[in-house]
Amino acid sequence: MIQNNQPPDVLNLNSFSSYAKDGLLYSGDEALSPRTREDFLEAFARGGTYRDKLYGFPILASARAFFYNRDLLAKAGVTAPPRTWDELVQAAKRVQALGAGTIGYALPLGPEEAQAEWSIWMWNNGGDWKAGEAWAINSEKNLQALQFLAALANTHKVTQINPGKTNRTDGAFQLFKDGKVGMVIGFSPLAAQLDAEAKVRYGVTQMPTNVGTPVTLGVEDYLMAFKKKGNQEAVRQFLDLYYQPEQITRWITAEGFLPVTKSGRERMSSNEKLKPYLDALPSARLAPTTDPTWDKVKLDVQQSIGAAVQPGGDPKQVLDRLQKNAAESAR
Amino acid sequence: MVIYPAVELVRASLGRYSITGLHQGAVGLRNYARLVGQEALPAVAGNTVVWVAAVVALTIALSLGLAQLLNESFPGRRLVRWALIVPWAASLIMTSKLFVWLYDYYFGLLNRVTAAAGLAPLDWLGDDRTVMGAMIAVGVFVSLPFTTYVLLAGLQTIPGEVYEAARVDGAAGWRSYRLITLPLLRPALLVAAVLNLIYVFNSFPIVWTLNDRNPGFAHDTMITFMYKIAFKSALRDVGLAAALGVVNVLLILVAVIAYLRVARWREEPV
Repeated sequence: MIQNNQPPDVLNLNSFSSYAKDGLLYSGDEALSPRTREDFLEAFARGGTYRDKLYGFPILASARAFFYNRDLLAKAGVTAPPRTWDELVQAAKRVQALGAGTIGYALPLGPEEAQAEWSIWMWNNGGDWKAGEAWAINSEKNLQALQFLAALANTHKVTQINPGKTNRTDGAFQLFKDGKVGMVIGFSPLAAQLDAEAKVRYGVTQMPTNVGTPVTLGVEDYLMAFKKKGNQEAVRQFLDLYYQPEQITRWITAEGFLPVTKSGRERMSSNEKLKPYLDALPSARLAPTTDPTWDKVKLDVQQSIGAAVQPGGDPKQVLDRLQKNAAESAR
Repeated sequence: MVIYPAVELVRASLGRYSITGLHQGAVGLRNYARLVGQEALPAVAGNTVVWVAAVVALTIALSLGLAQLLNESFPGRRLVRWALIVPWAASLIMTSKLFVWLYDYYFGLLNRVTAAAGLAPLDWLGDDRTVMGAMIAVGVFVSLPFTTYVLLAGLQTIPGEVYEAARVDGAAGWRSYRLITLPLLRPALLVAAVLNLIYVFNSFPIVWTLNDRNPGFAHDTMITFMYKIAFKSALRDVGLAAALGVVNVLLILVAVIAYLRVARWREEPV
């Protein structure tokens, strides 16, 4: 639509900064009333900021959490879900040893959502995407994390076949829903499906960590408003209506997502189902969506990181290449 | 209707676009030069040749047999003729998704069959050795109906007297097929080959759906590579993708002309 010079008035997407960089968007000052602007949760407002101005208005959030199959873990003699990476390896080995096609940990590093899975492992080893303003994808800690994942697949052999070529929805989640998998990283829509099918008894907990404090991934979707002749007042009215506490909370609750506003968090805090995710929110980190380069880095990760955990894959080479491409795109 | 998109495609291929699709000025032929420099291009081109050649050749070979069968009269022929249309009428995405589950390592029917035969299970769509073959099989499956019907129509234009005459002259069976049926079927074969060539080359849904779990470009054809350049890779480049689009159109044009040349050249001695 941008290509044809026919941008929408309002767009909902999981990235915004490339559009802000191209000067196509209204800022929060131009399109939102002060009351709406101030209601956003701090972390999510920060996640929508480009060059000190809010362009990506938070619309919904979700957080990942660690899912485990209660029956499989119990059968394997694992009494509590793993808290550390060492415990994870032990638990996965025991589940895998049950045989009959049982899988310890389902690792989806195929193109669908590899950047999400990878972010979580990287952060729980103390690594990160960037160091200050510069990309740091091939840092020592990141390399260790990727080598750990490759070892899960090829040394310990506790993952499903070809984890670098497994997607999330029709791969890892499907296997978990079928009761074949001990542990997987999931989110609230997976819980909803598991509840509906009532086939697998599962638990939800925080991520196993290698550095002491567990970290999870928060994902934020954005609304953005495109500059078009004569649409500013209409867009402003629409967004203010949309962000009225009862409106946005009703929608977010119905869809099973997490609140992005202070008023929404208050209203939803009593919801038991959402408790594990709401608890995880304070420790949740966002992907570097405020950097326009991220939109390319994300796709690059999706198309290449899987190769690192395939038999004969080279984690260092994969990360070095991602770093080189990111540094070039950032220029 | 035909010219406008073509003009737009060429125009896009000469421009530079930001990741959001914003036009940032003309760059002449630079996109074409960058296209030639793409590391994945040789593999993608190779895949495309294998994909098109295998699907078209296998489809025509199998369709010749099927058309012959359906040309004979047997009880239930009408039903079989109808049944053959199904894979053609079904949406390609649906068919492809169905095959994704048939090929699945953990849930798939195919691995149960091979297990019954005492073979080890294979990750058909994840194993680099089997992905292309798995895609080709689906490509042939969905191309059979149309091709068979074209050839069947061709068979029905061959008058019975020709075969009678041949029989009088002592030609029967394989000899009569080789000397009578195949030469007289040449117009239908030509149509089937050319249409399949274009159709299979441009096919997107099968390769896209069966290959969607594999990172990188190791199993892409020119068509899915074009889509990935535009939307699914770090390139995210509409201009570069448009350049590949123009190249694709020219390639298929050249391929068809070359095929027709060769076919006509072989026709002359008859």
